[in-house]
Amino acid sequence: MFSALDISTSALVAQRTRMTAIAGNIANVTTTHNEAGEPQPYQPRYVVFQADPGVGAHGAAGVRVAAVKADTEVQPRYKYEPGHPDAIREGPWKGYVAYPDINIMTEFTDALEAARAYEANLGAIEVTKDMAQQTLRILA
Amino acid sequence: MNAIGPMRPTGIAPPAAGLQAKPGGGAEGFKDILLQSVREANALQQEADAAVERMAAGEDVTTAEVLTAVQKADIAFKLMMQIRNKLVQAYQELQAVRV
Repeated sequence: MFSALDISTSALVAQRTRMTAIAGNIANVTTTHNEAGEPQPYQPRYVVFQADPGVGAHGAAGVRVAAVKADTEVQPRYKYEPGHPDAIREGPWKGYVAYPDINIMTEFTDALEAARAYEANLGAIEVTKDMAQQTLRILA
Repeated sequence: MNAIGPMRPTGIAPPAAGLQAKPGGGAEGFKDILLQSVREANALQQEADAAVERMAAGEDVTTAEVLTAVQKADIAFKLMMQIRNKLVQAYQELQAVRV
């Protein structure tokens, strides 16, 4: 009876993790140093979901976060800022600063999608709860 | 006479040997059914308590998981209460039977 609740909850947790990654991408939209402090534009993180039959029952599966991966292929977005401490000193991009190529619009669309998915799963929980309570009416 | 045996609550009066449900014979008594549902509800309640405690202690648990645990405990408790009500009602109806 509770496996439907568990499945919806696993989705809530997964969407929340996804929102964390999106928040991180938005927060680091102008970050020019990596975690080690080296000058490298922030690599946007993307969450990979995986079906998780361990949560469900009767063939239904929950969802879990398989990995949060950094986009290592992404090309930086160059912005001409010769006075910036991270400006490139020589080469064709002299005077430019390498910023992460994160599109705020896309990130916000993803955030909205995560919020709607969260809402949908809350709706599913509501329905499951209702069904459990309606069942009690057989006895009452 | 054996048909009402399983509904007899133990601990109220020592049952006559012939009326007792045979232990291990697959027959579940009034007490067993009630106890089982109480145990299930209790286990979920303890799970919910532990989850709430972890959240209050500031551990890294998601609120969704905690609230789901609480809700599961609530549903299990309601179900347990309904089963209990039904069993007690059946018992009382039997008691009202004039011998």
